[in-house]
Amino acid sequence: MPQQLIKVRPTKIELVKLKRRLRLAERVQKIVKDRLSILTMEFLQTARETVEAKRKLIDAFSETYKALSIATGYHGYIALEKELIATETGPKVAAGLRNIAGVRIPSFELRDNGKPMRGYNLVDTSSWLDHAAQLAEKCLEATVELAELQRSLELLGMEINRTKRITNALEYMIIPGLQATIKYLNMKFEERDREEKGRLKRVKVLVARG
Amino acid sequence: MMPTNLPYERMLQECLRGELRVVNAGLPRSQKQLSTLLREEYPHIVCSDGSTHSFKKKELEHLASMIDTDKQESLLLPMLIELGPNQAEAAIICQTDVEEKVISEILNMPVTPKQGRITIYKPQLALLRKALKTTTQYVFSPKILE
Repeated sequence: MPQQLIKVRPTKIELVKLKRRLRLAERVQKIVKDRLSILTMEFLQTARETVEAKRKLIDAFSETYKALSIATGYHGYIALEKELIATETGPKVAAGLRNIAGVRIPSFELRDNGKPMRGYNLVDTSSWLDHAAQLAEKCLEATVELAELQRSLELLGMEINRTKRITNALEYMIIPGLQATIKYLNMKFEERDREEKGRLKRVKVLVARG
Repeated sequence: MMPTNLPYERMLQECLRGELRVVNAGLPRSQKQLSTLLREEYPHIVCSDGSTHSFKKKELEHLASMIDTDKQESLLLPMLIELGPNQAEAAIICQTDVEEKVISEILNMPVTPKQGRITIYKPQLALLRKALKTTTQYVFSPKILE
């Protein structure tokens, strides 16, 4: 593809400016490429962890469902519901942000020492319910972990796309455009020099004749 | 070839200037001691762009379990991972010998600091970041531009 030239006045000052801009573009390309490699590494790492967290979440939920079914069978649905409704509390999640190479990623952490589900009467309930509650806590932890990972994955993916577009613009548009314009200006100046020399020679001949 | 005006040139120039600002925006204004962070309810530091960087309690406790209680004051967090001109390597800025101990324990191999920096390779960097997600931070060194 022929490179598009930047519309500039063919002067030496413009040439110096273009050379400076080319140096800046090359420097920025280096930084952007480094950032892209770091973001890609983090993205792949997060993707691997997301797969693992998803598998853990599915396993945890299936185990919890089984344990809860057994507990329901033992206590009876109404008795169990009565016991659990009275102790219903929302989990405490500490949310914050962390920064990966300029991308702000959410960070979630379950608080309450990881035991937000216990609060029911231990006298009226059995160890089956304890087991189900223990597994439910694991489910909650896995859900919070997956939420963080999935959002991180989305944000990193979007940033990689954006950075890649900048890298491509630099690599295929800006830098070649600047190089082509510098080459064009250099050629123009050389041509002007040659014309000047030819003109001087012609003047010299005319002066010698006259 | 006729000279033409690139329509997005100015916009891209602005983008590029922004990019330079963005890469090191997450650097901490000041690092905090591990012992201080362990005492905080919501451990965090303030970044150079004014945003906050939160630490996970679990991660801090994991770090605390690796080192002695009296050495917790010497460990400054987040640990800084410097990315230099060589893309295959990264350097962890090491102010005391505590960092050395932590890194060698996580990577499960001995490491030696050279001029205040522990050099590690990309696969080791991935391992380190997996274990210490919130307690490490990337620094894009100006040497990248050399």
